Amino acid sequence: MILEGTFTFSGPRAVVWDLLQDPAVLAKALPGTERLELVGDDRYEGVMKVSVGPVTAAKFDVTVALKDKVAPERFTMQIDGKGGVGFTRGTASIALTEVDAQSTSMAYSSNVQVGGKIAAVGQRLIESVAKMMMRQALDALEQELRARLAGGAASA
Amino acid sequence: MPAKTRYLNARVVRNEDERLLTGRARFVDDVDLPGMAHVAFVRSDYAHARITAIDASAARSRPGVFAVYTADDLGEYSQPAPLLVPPPPIEDLIFHPRTHLPLAREKVRYVGEPIAMIVAASRYIAEDAIRDVVVDADPLDPVVDLEAGLAPGAPLVHEDLESNAAAHVVQRKGDYAAARARADIVVTRRLLYDRGAAAAMENRAVVAQWDTQAEELTIWDTTQAPIPIRNGLAAKLGLLQSQVRVVAPFVGGGFGPKIMMFYPEELLVPWAAMRLRRPVKWTEDRQENFYATTQERGQVHDAEMALTRDGRILGVKDVFLFYTGAYDPYGLTIPINTQCTLLGPYDIEHYDSTFTAVFTNKPIVTPVRGAGRQHGVFVSERLLDIAARELGIDRVEIRKRNLLGPDRFPHNHGIMFQDSAPLIYDSGNYLPTLERAAEMIGYEQLVREQAARRAEGRHVGVGVACYVEGTGIGPYEGARVTVEPGGTVRVATGVGTQGQGHYTVFAQIVADVLGVDVRNVLVVTGDTREFQWGTGTFASRGAVVAGSACHAAALAVRAKIAALSAQLLNTQPEDIAVENGRAFVRDAPDRGFALGELALKANPLRGAVRPGTEPGLESTAYFGPDRGSTASGVHAMIVEVDPETAMVKIERYVVVHDCGAMINPMLVEGQIHGGVAHGIGNAFYEQLVYDEQGQLMNASFMDYLLPTATDVPPIETDHRETPSPFNPVGLKGVGEAGCIPTGAVFAQAVEDALRDLNVEILEIPMNPNSLFALIAGAGKP
Amino acid sequence: MIISVTVNGIGYQREVEPRLLLSDFLRHELGLTGTHVGCEHGVCGACTILFDAEPARSCIMLAVQANGHTLQTVEGLAPHDAALAPIQTAFRDTHALQCGFCTPGFLMTLTAFLRDNPSPTQPEIRDALSANLCRCTGYQHIVEAVTRACKDALP
Repeated sequence: MILEGTFTFSGPRAVVWDLLQDPAVLAKALPGTERLELVGDDRYEGVMKVSVGPVTAAKFDVTVALKDKVAPERFTMQIDGKGGVGFTRGTASIALTEVDAQSTSMAYSSNVQVGGKIAAVGQRLIESVAKMMMRQALDALEQELRARLAGGAASA
Repeated sequence: MPAKTRYLNARVVRNEDERLLTGRARFVDDVDLPGMAHVAFVRSDYAHARITAIDASAARSRPGVFAVYTADDLGEYSQPAPLLVPPPPIEDLIFHPRTHLPLAREKVRYVGEPIAMIVAASRYIAEDAIRDVVVDADPLDPVVDLEAGLAPGAPLVHEDLESNAAAHVVQRKGDYAAARARADIVVTRRLLYDRGAAAAMENRAVVAQWDTQAEELTIWDTTQAPIPIRNGLAAKLGLLQSQVRVVAPFVGGGFGPKIMMFYPEELLVPWAAMRLRRPVKWTEDRQENFYATTQERGQVHDAEMALTRDGRILGVKDVFLFYTGAYDPYGLTIPINTQCTLLGPYDIEHYDSTFTAVFTNKPIVTPVRGAGRQHGVFVSERLLDIAARELGIDRVEIRKRNLLGPDRFPHNHGIMFQDSAPLIYDSGNYLPTLERAAEMIGYEQLVREQAARRAEGRHVGVGVACYVEGTGIGPYEGARVTVEPGGTVRVATGVGTQGQGHYTVFAQIVADVLGVDVRNVLVVTGDTREFQWGTGTFASRGAVVAGSACHAAALAVRAKIAALSAQLLNTQPEDIAVENGRAFVRDAPDRGFALGELALKANPLRGAVRPGTEPGLESTAYFGPDRGSTASGVHAMIVEVDPETAMVKIERYVVVHDCGAMINPMLVEGQIHGGVAHGIGNAFYEQLVYDEQGQLMNASFMDYLLPTATDVPPIETDHRETPSPFNPVGLKGVGEAGCIPTGAVFAQAVEDALRDLNVEILEIPMNPNSLFALIAGAGKP
Repeated sequence: MIISVTVNGIGYQREVEPRLLLSDFLRHELGLTGTHVGCEHGVCGACTILFDAEPARSCIMLAVQANGHTLQTVEGLAPHDAALAPIQTAFRDTHALQCGFCTPGFLMTLTAFLRDNPSPTQPEIRDALSANLCRCTGYQHIVEAVTRACKDALP
């Protein structure tokens, strides 16, 4: 499954970059994330609960490894999720471009494989669920960004 | 004098129906035993991966879980499953047998391969525990495509082999190169034919119970082959065959995958029952069925047909690839069927057929109704249609010019069939069948009217396709017929039944011979305690082989009846008539006995039994044909296609078939209707869709579409009869006939409907999406 | 949770887990194994029963949903004074079943359909059957059975 797109954040690139490296922020923004912690150099581990069609609240143990970091421009993520209903593996690359002093354009491109039971019965829905999760995450990140720029974190 | 009972060719209502209709028939999942535990399997999510660790500790400590087994826990029991069908003795055949382990060890080779078995107090708890088991797997690149699988550098499904080629077989007769050299045209095409899941309505299930006091193991199994299962499991579990009883009660549809034997679940459930000393049950669910039960998939053919300008086939050359899946326990039955069935009813003197079977990281492929015959028929029928078009000869006419005449039987094709005997057609008369089918569908009229309809904007097409099917193969079956003192006749045989009406058909045969009412014949089958010797229900052989055994046993009992009556009535056996449940002197009907009475007399409490005779009115007989009998038929259909939406509507469907003598025409029709429905599903609706990682994407009936009552048209049937000389009743099989030429006739009819758009259909299934793409791309240079 | 259900005219009271499927309750708790399970996702129709006289797929219902309701399964179709109901007899006479696994679902669907549509046309029959899957018969004899049952029912 290929998921790509762009999103414009209303904040300077350096702030956006920091936001994307903060596990606490990501944990709040990504729908269904119960826990996400930095466990090593550019390595995160956590737990997510995802619902795809008839499969509700499927638990996944996820690890994310960051690579090819060029602050504050780009990085790639190696994603590995494993759970009782299946697995997901893939990579995603993020590129941040300064539009102006107050806004940053993010381009994302990811190729994620989904397998196991969740893929066998939820196939038609996986892509739309992934897109929806992406949208929700980006909106949440934008909220957090604005809160941060206004001073203080956004409420949970 | 009451009329004689005659049950051959009789539309007898089935003996078994009352139980089935009132919900009183036992299917395996109905078995509920005190203390029974339930099984769920942890299955691979990856098509190809190395297993580095399995942690079942959390699962084992879940309340309600009795045990969790992995390959390490099986010890010596972890052995590759037996090779079920060794390849026939074809010269220079290459075959690499690789069979599955009961639980995967070190490597998994298809999504769904079992890794751990959980036994718990309920199915619900067992399934909960699946998520507790942590499997560490390092994914490997999977092989999912036939040609990519053979390319150098492809990942190896079996690393001890040099490539993913599981087999390579060449069968030749005559000299194709010479034939091609003198041909007026040669038609060359690449053809693809995909199959799918058998999708019986009942999923598989196994229940096992070990009686520790009697030291007997009872297994209920949705198998088409209870006797071989008993024999194999007894050997594997270190038991005598007599200590193991396998019961295949009513089985909700077989269609092939239930004769795949020694599935992991069949091996493990009895083993667990013995270890845990409690009954154990496993019932498959529908999603599991899509990976855990075998299926048939596709073949890719590069084929050519050499013909004269009169449309006479000089020869055929075919090179094809066949998906065997991750393992090949069933040998080469399917592709060899393809090789043989390609020849069809035609007189083809020169033939050069080569196939390579390829291991891929997908579920195991074993026969599904048709068993590779569809692929062969598709190739020859399509090439013939294309040749007809290029030569300007009518499609039915070109077939007529190539049919084997009735004087050519038995006809030895010079190549080998799946049963390791030469491919010999026993009997057949193809021209009248073809003419009748064309007549019934109104072929000539439709061809005449086609242009006019097209002018009205309607795309109507007709297709006519022929096939020949080898049925009724050996090795053998047996039956025991007993007249009970109450007058009921009991028939015991080994073949299981999955809807074919054996309880009625075998009763008809025996009732006919013994002159009793068919309702007075009780058939017992699918229980190894009742009958010990035989193989199973497959390859359209039940009625032919087991039926012939019933016939032979009944004849032997009839002889005993005549002999005993003659002795008691002081006359000769030739003077005894056996009719209407009695044995009597033909010229003095009052002098005789009811059969039940005679059975009592045959079992004396005093006196003696003469040497060389047996007590009772009972006989056991076996039937083992040297070779199969050849059924044949022609399908014809009319379709209307909307070129804008690519929707196809079947207007009419005709089947004229020859299955030799028929026992029960109503049941024969049912088999044909069901087969055609399956063929329509295959041609248009069903496809197992895998992604590049070997993940099945449509493992449910929401996305794997089976035809419904609004998708299957009324099917008109007619019957021709050329009896088989290989069994006394003249029977041939009919179980698979309905689905063999369906893809071919479908392609021909749709192509005919779209003739003005120059569409060529070389692929099955042909669903609206692919047809739409074909139409859109057609006519372009 | 304790539920009270009436099935085929008999009242039952049982303690069940909330997640117990109605099909499992009928088959394994009450021993009424005539209702069959083909897919557990509500598509094949083999599990069809009558729930307050309307067809329902028991594989996608929970036993607790049946609390206080009246159910009919295939075991309750034949009247007390006969072995078979007319639709069952019609199925037998036209060979509308082969393996018989999907049959209870068809019978229950048809019991409700024919009650509400005593003289359907052929297309209406096929339409009514289109939500029950059969892999054996190709549906033709089933359609004949329905036609015959309607004809036999005519005064």
